[in-house]
Amino acid sequence: MSKSILITGASKGIGAATAERFFYADNDITDFILLARQSEDFEKLIGRLTDDNPYGKRVLPHVIDLNDRARIVGLMRDVMAEAGKVDYLVNNAGYTAPCALQQIEFADFERTIGVNLYAPFTIVQELLHCGNTFELIVNIASTAGMGGRPGWLTYGASKAAVINMSEAMKEELSIYGTRVVCISPGRCATDLRRKLAPDEDPSTIMQPEQVASVIDMLTSEVGTLVDSQNLVVRQ
Amino acid sequence: MYSLMLLNGGIGSRVAAGRPKQFIDVAGRPIIVYSLVAADAVPEITQIVLNFPEGFREEIERLVTDYAIQTPVTYVPAGESRHESVAAMLPACESDHVLIHESARPMVTAADFKQLVTDPRDNVSLMLPIPFTVAPVDPDSGLVTGSLERDRLRNVQLPQKFLKADLADAHRKAAEQQLVFTEDATLCAVTGHDVHFIDGQDTNLKVTTPTDVKLAGFLLGGDEDV
Repeated sequence: MSKSILITGASKGIGAATAERFFYADNDITDFILLARQSEDFEKLIGRLTDDNPYGKRVLPHVIDLNDRARIVGLMRDVMAEAGKVDYLVNNAGYTAPCALQQIEFADFERTIGVNLYAPFTIVQELLHCGNTFELIVNIASTAGMGGRPGWLTYGASKAAVINMSEAMKEELSIYGTRVVCISPGRCATDLRRKLAPDEDPSTIMQPEQVASVIDMLTSEVGTLVDSQNLVVRQ
Repeated sequence: MYSLMLLNGGIGSRVAAGRPKQFIDVAGRPIIVYSLVAADAVPEITQIVLNFPEGFREEIERLVTDYAIQTPVTYVPAGESRHESVAAMLPACESDHVLIHESARPMVTAADFKQLVTDPRDNVSLMLPIPFTVAPVDPDSGLVTGSLERDRLRNVQLPQKFLKADLADAHRKAAEQQLVFTEDATLCAVTGHDVHFIDGQDTNLKVTTPTDVKLAGFLLGGDEDV
């Protein structure tokens, strides 16, 4: 039976690596609902998937700023209309503006919580309201959510909330047979990591493709045996 | 195809929660939701007839919407007793076969409904063997009046299924004879219809007391492998 996957923050990093990993495999995932802000990276990814599509899969891209809650609500209805269902959801999109407490612009804190916490919540809630039952939800948190670090207050707090939200989701959605897994990557070579640690050599740390391989594992038979509220992946 | 009568009209005075017990949260969600979600996953159930205590229809409808229950729901006001409620809900059932369940039994699963639906017999109830001794007594005199063979007794559970015509006939006869029953398997049997039983699960408890709420919360909180 054909399945669909929705990935947020799909333009680059872990989101793009996850999309490409599933897209270029001979599997049962046929519909790719990809959400990202407007960017050259996103256009290139969509172009690549469209031009090189060996298994004839459907690419359903949507440009959206996930800080716009009202748009998410409307978009989820559109997603259900075009795809019919969402079997796998990867809440990957993340935002950060690292800053010392005294210098944090409150609007940035709100945006961080909006993108990192309210958006995945809204996507899940709206799709449930549309009658969708998920097979698997993967929420991407961070090891930064497991312990406070100077300068990362807003990001760490948002990811701590994602870890806790995932625990509640896991319990509440068990009545549908939905599995919910929270992944907390450690240092991973993404643009967001570059903001948090600008002096780090990205080639020395975990790559997005490695996190994508863990997400791939979660959709496999062995993945059904993974029972964890917060799966830490690090190199 | 089946119409499910989901009994939901009790006021839950024994639970003492200050509101109808179907709104009590068990493991984080209203107890009625478990039955709605389980029934919604059974394609053979094409209608849910749901009754509601006076003044609570709006709240029930909001739960049905929030949990995106896909099976069409028909709302019927609760009667003065469970017996009256079933009699009032029966005419609203569109199918020739009906199931009865109550929201106070949140441990029900889609598999429980499936087990009844696939049973070839018309009238079937889940029932639990009684592992303890039950004695007949005279409450007025305080005397034990004899003994009962527990192998010939069963704890009546829900869900149950009936041929709608049989259940309607049973309620018609009960009304003529002014009989009131607390459940429908024995009502049908007493009024001349064959009713079969299959073994239920001891986890399928009816939440009646505050202790039951705690126990159900424990059972529904997850199958922890500890």
